[in-house]
Amino acid sequence: MKPKVCILRTDGTNCDEETFYAYEKAGASCRMVHVNQLRLKEENLAGYQILALPGGFSYGDDVHSGKILAVELTSFLKDQLAAFVAAGKPVLGICNGFQVLVRTGLLPDLTIGEISAALITNDSSHFECRWVKLLVEQSNCIFTAGLEDTIMDVPVAHAEGKFYTGRSTLAKIENNRQVVFRYADTQGRPAASYPANPNGSLNAIAGICDASGRILGLMPHPERYVETTQHPNWRRLTGANQPHGLAVFHNAVNYARQM
Amino acid sequence: MIQEVRVTIKPDIPDPVGEEILYEINHTLHIRSVKKVRCARVFRFEGITEDEAIFLAEKLLAEEVFQSCRVNGPVFEDAATVLEVAYKPGVMNPEVSSLLKAAADLGLAGLIAADASRLYGFYGHGVRAEDIKKITGKLLVNATVERLITEKPETLLIHGAPGRTAVIPLRNMDDTQLMALSRDRLFLNLTEMQAIREYFTGIGRDPTDCEVEIIAQTWSEHCVHKTFKAELLVNGRKKEPLLHRLKEVTESLRHPLVLSAFVDNSGVMEFYEGLAICGKVETHNSPSAIEPYGGAMTGSGGVFRDIMGTGRGAKVVASTDMFCFAPPGTDPADIPSGCLHPHYLLRRVVAGVRDYGNRMGIPTNNGSVHFHPGFRAKPSVIVGAYGILPAALGRKGEPEPGDVALAAGGRTGRDGIHGATFSSGEMTDRTVEVNASAVQIGHAIEEKRLLDAILAVRDKGLIRAITDCGAGGFASAIGEMGAKTGARIALDRAPLKYPGLDPWEILLSESQERMVIAAAPEHAAQIIKICRDFNVEATVLGEFTGAGRFEATYSGETVMDLDMEFLHHGLPQQAREAVWRRPQFAEPAKPPVPEDWPALYRRVMGHLNVCSKELIVRQYDHGVQGTNALPPYGGLYGDAPNDAVILAPVPGKPYGMVISHGLNPALNRIDPYYGSLWAAAEAASNAAAAGADPAELMLIDNFIWPFPDEELLGALDRAVDACVDFARATGMPFISGKDSLSSTYRDSDGKVIKIPPVLCVSAFGRIPDIRKTVSTDFKQAGSRLVLAGYRDAAEMGGSVYYKLAGYAGNNLPKINPANLTKTLKAVHRAVSTGQALACHDISEGGLAAALAEMCFGGNTGAAVNIPPAEPAANFLFNETAGCFLLELDAGADAGSIFDDVPFRVIGETTLEPVISVGQDGARLFTVTLSELKEAWQEPMKEVFHR
Repeated sequence: MKPKVCILRTDGTNCDEETFYAYEKAGASCRMVHVNQLRLKEENLAGYQILALPGGFSYGDDVHSGKILAVELTSFLKDQLAAFVAAGKPVLGICNGFQVLVRTGLLPDLTIGEISAALITNDSSHFECRWVKLLVEQSNCIFTAGLEDTIMDVPVAHAEGKFYTGRSTLAKIENNRQVVFRYADTQGRPAASYPANPNGSLNAIAGICDASGRILGLMPHPERYVETTQHPNWRRLTGANQPHGLAVFHNAVNYARQM
Repeated sequence: MIQEVRVTIKPDIPDPVGEEILYEINHTLHIRSVKKVRCARVFRFEGITEDEAIFLAEKLLAEEVFQSCRVNGPVFEDAATVLEVAYKPGVMNPEVSSLLKAAADLGLAGLIAADASRLYGFYGHGVRAEDIKKITGKLLVNATVERLITEKPETLLIHGAPGRTAVIPLRNMDDTQLMALSRDRLFLNLTEMQAIREYFTGIGRDPTDCEVEIIAQTWSEHCVHKTFKAELLVNGRKKEPLLHRLKEVTESLRHPLVLSAFVDNSGVMEFYEGLAICGKVETHNSPSAIEPYGGAMTGSGGVFRDIMGTGRGAKVVASTDMFCFAPPGTDPADIPSGCLHPHYLLRRVVAGVRDYGNRMGIPTNNGSVHFHPGFRAKPSVIVGAYGILPAALGRKGEPEPGDVALAAGGRTGRDGIHGATFSSGEMTDRTVEVNASAVQIGHAIEEKRLLDAILAVRDKGLIRAITDCGAGGFASAIGEMGAKTGARIALDRAPLKYPGLDPWEILLSESQERMVIAAAPEHAAQIIKICRDFNVEATVLGEFTGAGRFEATYSGETVMDLDMEFLHHGLPQQAREAVWRRPQFAEPAKPPVPEDWPALYRRVMGHLNVCSKELIVRQYDHGVQGTNALPPYGGLYGDAPNDAVILAPVPGKPYGMVISHGLNPALNRIDPYYGSLWAAAEAASNAAAAGADPAELMLIDNFIWPFPDEELLGALDRAVDACVDFARATGMPFISGKDSLSSTYRDSDGKVIKIPPVLCVSAFGRIPDIRKTVSTDFKQAGSRLVLAGYRDAAEMGGSVYYKLAGYAGNNLPKINPANLTKTLKAVHRAVSTGQALACHDISEGGLAAALAEMCFGGNTGAAVNIPPAEPAANFLFNETAGCFLLELDAGADAGSIFDDVPFRVIGETTLEPVISVGQDGARLFTVTLSELKEAWQEPMKEVFHR
């Protein structure tokens, strides 16, 4: 049985089709679900094994990136979200989806309605689109099982991607090994400076998970590297190269199959 | 009572936007007294209590992790000066609808209006009032759409009386009165005004304001292209109208892949597996000149809607942008009054393209920027878009009598009134005052959800015909759709942004993000439901009738009743005379020989028309949709430019589409015929260099010309001839195009500045297998370097090299399109068979620039030998388009690839990251890649601070 993925979209979601394609390629069966359909009860998250919040500019990223959608989810769909997470089902938020997960409070602490971290304006002050290297950290994140200590090539494309939080929260997510991805330099070390760290994120944090490892949010776009020819230098690559982003989706699908 | 919430970033956390503004203040405005800038947001709410405002602040507006907020109290109390900047009332503020939505989601029922603005705190001892005035005027406030807020507003609501329709006593007007009516409002000439007077005299009544306005709009140069349709007498010889020539050559080519040419909102070609692709390129010069951010946004939004409104609805897959500005370092004293500085224009235009394309999720991945002092009074801002749709829906739909006309998308406001007529008039120092309403801010999310809704409606098979509301708004969209049938609409059904619009304003408003759909009446309810599911408002405005008239009512009263025939065909055809005399420019008798080759090489690489534009592309989400198979920049460090972009719009499929373009204002000034051939050759060469088959390329023309007097019309005639000759010789049809004949500025003394004429040619096509394409970066050391193509290296006119030596020159590259066709085929052969490891076409900066960029991409050096007896500077810096530098494996047989196309092995790639050039066995010079790259990247770093 193919796991069913809910690709949640709303006004301004714009990476939904790539995310759909990535999950389908990884063996899932996807459905585009507009947040209105959940509000109108035409759809229910309970019918899905995986939830994906794709990138884009939900509601224009007005006020804060992902904020208006986060308010909508916590106002109307809190119970469905809580039930989905309580059932141990994986949630992936990419770029704007990560911003939404943080602003709902689902990341890093699973406290819906309580915000403890933020993705804020890049140090460069503007939108930036470039390929970066990601160091996959040791963690219990189900999306990166078997990828630990590898380096991934993926693109970032955002204006508000600087991971920021207070000292105690930062210490907590570091100690709990909730940091899943860090921006890396050419040697694979965590990158402190631009452009390897494209936004000035604290501790070079590019993606984090909750304590269970089943909710993952990241700024870079693994769904944009699920075909070899999506790499900007695929013509220079030698040997058999599995597109780096695909493994993230494979892991989620495999996990959901065993649930 | 208005509640105010001010949100600041906590003082110990950096404020990057404030730092960026500070940099601009210090480095661009050269004001040193300001030491620090902090930014805040101001939100205002009407209809809620202070407690409710506090609740909103906590739940929505401020995040305690990094922000602080103040309700009904000041912030930055320690600053030397505080400025608050807001959009003027009535200007679209996209954030407001989100504030209302989120407040409602949080359960606040009483909120009736909201607004959002920006607050800046300036710190530093000795910040003078005149400094703040300059910062306000030059940097933070564009008075066309923005204003300073100095006190708390009484209300946020816009009030207005019900609309009224006036009758204009046109029949009794003499010619002077007719022209007084036309000036600043209708932009029609006396003959045209007389034709209107004659029509209404004939039907025995005076027109309403709706009728006069719609005629002026329909007959505007922007909408009807009078000059392109005029009978021409060139140097005394009668010639076919310009548009006719372009269409005729396309028809004569009978290209098997063309699905739709010149009849729809974009040109459509066959793709693969039952799909079609389409392309459209537009200019948005006039709005961008006075409000570059909004102008660029609405330019992008408009051309995206052209794609959405192609056939029976297409998905937008790419965006392109081509700009011409004066150099960013231009002395402010040289900028004419009423015009904006190019440094500001460039940054704001880039921001507009960025914010619209990125938010809509459309990759902006092909473009260029050209600099010439001639653009100091008005820039050329060219935006393109490309789409994909089922081939069966690829041809323009036709409404049937009885079909409903639905308006979908944004609401109608007073913004954008007179955009079509404004774009057709010349710009003066009064333009900003008179036509402020012609400029607006785009709302990308409104358009994104509209695109989502339209594709859903299309996929249900509910669309009979669709078009966008661009210039002329409903008047133009419904007037054109119903030209054969007739249409009747009720203007009071149109949802309005605020009350108080007169019927003619509703009819003519160019509010963005609106489309008109024609559908069978039984489908209307389903369309409205689908739209609502995507939070899109759709409304039946009226129907298509079969009566051949364009009728409009307001509150039951007829406010317009015009014969479609008169509206669309009553415009007197113009007869225009043109003369062409070639201007003469300074030309050296012998090519100047540089004293210091490396220094010259660096200057060429650092020339504004050669330098890297990567920092612009990085601000665009050029990778969204995940389709790039050849991105705009690649190579080892991601900083080497490719010639074209190749997209794989259907993920997982091997086939792709290629997009490229060419333009060269410098050559056009010398000779518009050869300058235009160059532009077309450059567009096709860029595509071929990446691996496109020249037999499967389509072209799009954009003529951006000053208001044509006899000589400029002569130049335009030559440019069109070049396009026709190019198409005929190469077999590439033009399938879409646009002319914008308003690149003229008149100052308060009546002095006219003619902006340099530009022809931009865009090319797009299909590629069966994206794996058989190539990038520009060198792949290895030890490869052979081959220069291929026809050129006379002595043709240095218009080159960057000449410009640096102080000449324009007359002897410009004279491309032979028949020869070019042979070269393009050979290059395609080399690339598609995998024999070329890298390929780059030659353009500004010549072989030298192409070579350096290829070296940057692979971090590979090169050793090049210039043929004996060839002047070295010509060899290195000649800019003839249609020539290519290829990297071939050392074992490849260049002779079998190029056949009778001229080619020469000029050297090889090397491990050491230097370029060394020799001639006659002696070394001419050696230069390191790092010094070239530094010079090449510097100019845009200067503008974009990276």
